[in-house]
Amino acid sequence: MIWKHELRLFLRERAAIPALLLLLALATASVVAGLAETARQRAVIARIQPVQAADVAALADGDNPGDAPYSTYHATWNAPNPLAFAALGQRDIAPYILRVRALGLEAQLYDGETFNPELALPGRFDFAFVLTYLLPMFVIVLLHDLRAREDEAGRSAALQAMSRNAGLLWFRRRAVRGLLLYAMILPPFLVGALVSRVPPGQIVAVSLLALLYLMFWLALATLVERLGWKSAANAGALVAGWLILTLILPTLANLAINSAVPVRQGLELALAHRQKVHAAWEIPRAETLNAFYRTNPRWSGASPPKGFDDKWYFAFHEVADESVAPAARAYQQGLLDRDRLTQRLGWFIPAIGLQARLHRMAETDLSAQLAYQDRIREFHSRLRQFYYGYLFSDRPFTRTDYPKAPKWGDGMGGLPPSR
Amino acid sequence: MKSASVPIDQATPAVHLRDVRVRRGERIILDSLTFSVGRGEIYALLGGNGAGKSTAIATILGFLPYAGGAVRVCGDDPARDGYRVRGHIAYLPENVALYEHLTAVENIAYFLAVAGQRRSPDAVMAALNSSGLQAEAHERRLVGFSKGMRQKVAIALAILREVPVFLLDEPTSGLDPSASSDFNALLLRLRNAGAAIVMVTHDLLGVVDCADRIGFLESGRIADEAVASGPDRFDLRELHARYGKRVLAA
Repeated sequence: MIWKHELRLFLRERAAIPALLLLLALATASVVAGLAETARQRAVIARIQPVQAADVAALADGDNPGDAPYSTYHATWNAPNPLAFAALGQRDIAPYILRVRALGLEAQLYDGETFNPELALPGRFDFAFVLTYLLPMFVIVLLHDLRAREDEAGRSAALQAMSRNAGLLWFRRRAVRGLLLYAMILPPFLVGALVSRVPPGQIVAVSLLALLYLMFWLALATLVERLGWKSAANAGALVAGWLILTLILPTLANLAINSAVPVRQGLELALAHRQKVHAAWEIPRAETLNAFYRTNPRWSGASPPKGFDDKWYFAFHEVADESVAPAARAYQQGLLDRDRLTQRLGWFIPAIGLQARLHRMAETDLSAQLAYQDRIREFHSRLRQFYYGYLFSDRPFTRTDYPKAPKWGDGMGGLPPSR
Repeated sequence: MKSASVPIDQATPAVHLRDVRVRRGERIILDSLTFSVGRGEIYALLGGNGAGKSTAIATILGFLPYAGGAVRVCGDDPARDGYRVRGHIAYLPENVALYEHLTAVENIAYFLAVAGQRRSPDAVMAALNSSGLQAEAHERRLVGFSKGMRQKVAIALAILREVPVFLLDEPTSGLDPSASSDFNALLLRLRNAGAAIVMVTHDLLGVVDCADRIGFLESGRIADEAVASGPDRFDLRELHARYGKRVLAA
C-alpha cells in the first residue's frame, strides 16, 4: 500500500516522468543504434563472399604459379557476437573485415588502424554508453534532494514523527526511484537481446551488472545525502563524483597504464615489415632462401630460382614476417598487459569495470580483437602452405584450383556471414 | 479519541515531564522542566524566543536525548523508544508542509500510510469536514492553498491518526482571527473527545480561548503556571500584565 503512495508521490513530481521518459528514449535509441550497426556489419560481411567469388572469376589462368597468391585476396571477417549491439566496443575502430594475400602478413594486419581514428575518442552511442555514463546522471537528478528537499520544505520533522521507521521510509523512496530507472533502461536492452538472440545467461548477466551499477550510484547518492547538505550541494558533490568516476579517473588510469606499459603502434610494425621487404631486394637470394628453408624445410628441395622468381619473392615476404615476429609478439603482449591492468582497475572504478565486462561478454574488447588477429595469422599460414604447394613444386595453378584454397571459417572460428 | 495501535493506561498522564534537563554543548536549554498533561486537557506552553519551546517539543518526540529527569508519553520513554512514543502523538509543526503536488485527500492517505495506518474514504472526508476544509478543496492539489487551509488538512490528518496526544507547534501563527477562532473551536472538540493537547505558542490571547492550563516557559523551565478554572482561574489582564509584553514582544 505504502509503495503505491510512494510511487504516486514520485510520479507527480515535475521532473519525474520527463526524466524517466528521456532515459527510456535514450536507452531505446542506443539499442536501436546498436542493432542497426551490428546489422550493417553483418550485411557487409555477407556481401564479402559474392565479391570474393567475382574477384576470383575475373582472374585469368596463367602459367606462373606465383600469380594466383600474389593477385588473390582472401576475405576474413569477425562477425559480431549477438551481444555486440549492446556494447560495440572496439568494433568501430578495429577492422572486422580484412582481406589478406599470401604475401607478408604483418604489413596487412595493421592497415585497419587507420580506418576510423576519429571515432576512437567519443566512442559509439550504445547501450553500454547509456548505462555507464548517462544512467548515473539520472540517478543524480532524481535522488540528489531525496532528503534535503524534505528538510528544505520543513517536512522532515513531520515525516519522522509519523514514520514507524524513518530508515525504511528513505529506503522505499530510493527503491521506487531506483526500480523505475531500472525499468526504463532494462526493457529496451531485453528487446534488443531477444531480437539479437543473445543467450539467456548473458541476458541475466548484463541485467545483473546493470543492477549492480545502478545500486552503486544509489549507494553513492545515499552516502552524499547522509552528509546533511543542502540539495544544491548534494547535486554538486554527485556531479563531481560522476566526473571523477566516469571521466577523470578512467582518463588518468588510461594515461598511467599507457605510461607503465609502453606499446609501439601496430602501424610501426607494418612499416618495419615493409622496410624488411624493400631491403630484401638488395640481399643475396641464397641468404633469403636459406633463412626461409630453415623454417620451411619441406620446400628446401625446390628448384633454385632463375632471375626473378616468385619463390624468392614469397620467401622474402615470409622472412620479413619472421624478422618482425618478436616485435609483433611484444606488441600483442603489451596490449594484453594493458588490458589486464584495465580489468584490474575495473574492480576499483565501477565505470571501467562495467564497460570492461560488457565488452568482454560482447567480444568487442581488445582481447577479442587480438583473437581475431590470431585467427587471421592461422588462416594466413594455411593460405601460404596451400599456395607454396604449387609455387615450390612448380605446379601450374589454374582456375580449377581456386576452390581448393582454404576458406575463412573452415575450422577457423570465423562465423558464417549469415549470422 | 482513541489510540489506533497502542493500548494506553487511562490513569497515566498522557504527557509527563519531570525535572528534564537538555544540554547543547555547554548550554543548558531545558533546566528542570516539569509539567504534566492529562487526557481531555489542553496545555499551552508559552514562551519567548529561546525559552526552550522547540527543544521541549523535540524532546517529547524523542528527536533529542535528555541529560536528566524523565519524559513519558502515555507511559513510554521517548529516549528509549522514539518510534513507539511517536505512535501516540499527532504532531503539527509550525509551518505545515505537505506535498503541493498531491491533493488534500492524497496527502492524508500518504501520511497515514507512512504511519502504517489506513482509513476509509468516508472517514477521510469526515475528518476534512470536521477540520473545516471546504468540500471543493478536498480533491484539489495543495498548490494555492492558504496557510489556514493547509492547517486544516494537517488537523484532519491528526484526527484520523486517532492518537491520544496532539503536539502543536505555533498552530495559529499566520492564521487570520477568524481562522484562529475556528482552530481553537476545533481544539476544544478534540479535547472534549479525550485528547491531550500540548500547544507551544506565544499567542497569549489565542490560548486564553481554549487552554485549560498555561505554562510560562523561561530559560528552559516553567516559571509559572495558570489554570482556567477553580479559585486560581487565570485572569487575562493579570496574565497580560505579568507576561504579555515579554511574550508578545518575542
